[in-house]
Amino acid sequence: MDLATSPRYARQRILPGFGTEGQRRLADARVVVIGAGGLGSAVLPALAAAGVGTLVVVDPDVVDETNLHRQTLHGPGDVGRAKVESAAERLAEIAPELRVVQVALVFDARSAAEIVAGADVLVDASDNAAARFAADDAATAAGIPLVWGSALRFSGQAGVVWGAHGVDYRDLFPEPTDDPDTCEVAGVLPTVCTTIGGLMATEVLKLLTGVGTPLVGSVIDVDALTGAMRRLDFARDPDRDTSGPPTRPAAPQAAPQAATPAPDADAGIEPDELAAVLRSDTPPLLLDVREPWEVEAAALPGATVIPLGELPARIAELDPGLPTVVYCHHGVRSARALDLLRQAGFADARHLRGGIDSWSRAVDPSVPRY
Amino acid sequence: MAEVELRYFAAAAEAAGRDTERVETDAATVGALATLVAERYGPAMARIIEKGSLLSDGIVVRDTGRPLGARLDVLPPFTGG
Repeated sequence: MDLATSPRYARQRILPGFGTEGQRRLADARVVVIGAGGLGSAVLPALAAAGVGTLVVVDPDVVDETNLHRQTLHGPGDVGRAKVESAAERLAEIAPELRVVQVALVFDARSAAEIVAGADVLVDASDNAAARFAADDAATAAGIPLVWGSALRFSGQAGVVWGAHGVDYRDLFPEPTDDPDTCEVAGVLPTVCTTIGGLMATEVLKLLTGVGTPLVGSVIDVDALTGAMRRLDFARDPDRDTSGPPTRPAAPQAAPQAATPAPDADAGIEPDELAAVLRSDTPPLLLDVREPWEVEAAALPGATVIPLGELPARIAELDPGLPTVVYCHHGVRSARALDLLRQAGFADARHLRGGIDSWSRAVDPSVPRY
Repeated sequence: MAEVELRYFAAAAEAAGRDTERVETDAATVGALATLVAERYGPAMARIIEKGSLLSDGIVVRDTGRPLGARLDVLPPFTGG
């Protein structure tokens, strides 16, 4: 049975841009989640139920009675058991087909490369800065995005960093510090974990399916006392020196290709540059990889439309000898399309940075934003 | 005198008793304003500034001698879960 077409996922499959292709991407995905505690208890069941194929659960701890108010993966009968074991049992009830890999280890620089090898997305749902910075290094080395979150007292934060896309966790916090505040001494409202974990799982689903714009370079801050959510945007300091070690471990050997690889720096084209080459004597072929409903909402004149999900089967309709510029809504799907084109021998293929949305903002405001 | 928007997040907002404020200041650098903020709100804020992070116009501050921008964000370490 093809689970991607199962009624179990019908209510998410009909979402714009999701479809059977989005469901297949989830089924093919391998996601590493550090921490099967409060945040992990929100992230892991959500990803399992949504149809992610493989979850690697990393946690060295055993279940403690004081965990239970927020760590709903575990019950009173699990006190004293390894968290990864009790989590795996609960996840198997939610999604029997799910592959769960239990890793009862501390996530640090030594263990990171092997744990992260082959992952599409790394999720840090741990409670400490050491794991956060080890995760940041490992994600950067592997070229994959890191979805992170934290929850303490009445507030929490979530965000995405992706070194290959120009921003990592050190662009938010330059160095780990020993903060004495932990859930043990400061407390945590359990539903802050639920809220933040929900935001984190949403980002994972967006990254894997290509739907929406991931929170790369942004932080969502939630204050449960007022119910307010705030967004903070940050960027890399242009003067930051990222040239050397000391903190980057070696890339894992023979790591399988991530589902969401970063395009190389020269693979992107800015909207104004695209406008110029379209006006030239040798305009490139414009390839739109969005869904039909999106093309109805807004499109560039003269573009060939092949939704990303159909591209592998229909790539022969295109001429690999022609200069080609591929675009989508925000530049995530087009980056993936670009990989497909390059694998198929398209020598002169680029993609529109920021997608048609950046075109609307920078070149032609008459193209509707949606 | 320059006007600067200060935004406080999580424990920093608790220490300040507010999420945001606008201040008129003679401080020329990020570090000078951070010192004023720490003195105004006491030891809890001073510890957050020491252990956490400051973002000046969206760029993390590695050198407190950096000239003050239009906005300064005060973040405690984001831990716990």
